[in-house]
Amino acid sequence: MLEESGFVQIDIGPPVDTFGGAGGESKARLFEVFGYAFLAHKPE
Amino acid sequence: MSEALPVDAVALRKEVSAKYRDVAVNPHGTFHFHTGRPLARHLGYDESVVARMPESAIEAFAGVGNPFSQGALNRGERVVDLGSGGGFDCFVAAEQVGPEGRVVGVDMTDEMLERSRAAATAMGLGNVEFRKGIIEELPVEDGWADVVISNGVINLCADKRRVFTEIMRVLRPGGRLQFADIANGKEVPAAALRNIDLWTD
Repeated sequence: MLEESGFVQIDIGPPVDTFGGAGGESKARLFEVFGYAFLAHKPE
Repeated sequence: MSEALPVDAVALRKEVSAKYRDVAVNPHGTFHFHTGRPLARHLGYDESVVARMPESAIEAFAGVGNPFSQGALNRGERVVDLGSGGGFDCFVAAEQVGPEGRVVGVDMTDEMLERSRAAATAMGLGNVEFRKGIIEELPVEDGWADVVISNGVINLCADKRRVFTEIMRVLRPGGRLQFADIANGKEVPAAALRNIDLWTD
């Protein structure tokens, strides 16, 4: 969706176990939910 | 042709605001996600920043990653934070851009705005302001921002395409989007996608 919106030079960082040990951990595990840091640029 | 959304955007917004109102009022309550200083440490924020942040500025933090892991912001940059919540990421950004930079946090929840504004005042930050608004219609002028940041907020919007279009509008040419959010490795069933309660629990 970032590309479709016109962003370029997109980078995605490594996964982070955002919900590990929290109440939402079981649902997060069910759908393999992790946090990521994204970087994208608007073209010049 | 417009794309059908899985849930009603206004109803979802109401549900999300109620959830984060709870976090603003009772940040040490029990939620399905972690909050506060322990979460910031868990997500890999710079320990020196986390350690010296006043409790009022970090206790309602509820991010899902670390947008600054994609690179520190530069001195003098103008930053917009989508869904600024208790303001923690804005305060981190304010330190990185320095007094010659500017940070605008946008949030739709009054209780979060009260909290973040009070924290900014207590910290004596003159380069941060918080504006009420929704991230599908940002209260920011065209091309103003060098950087847009966000943390765990875009996933809570029904119309993500509209959000990214709006980010494009407020970024200057060559500007960048640095955000953290969740993504699932397994497909979520269509019925679950239509259940608003599951978006926030």
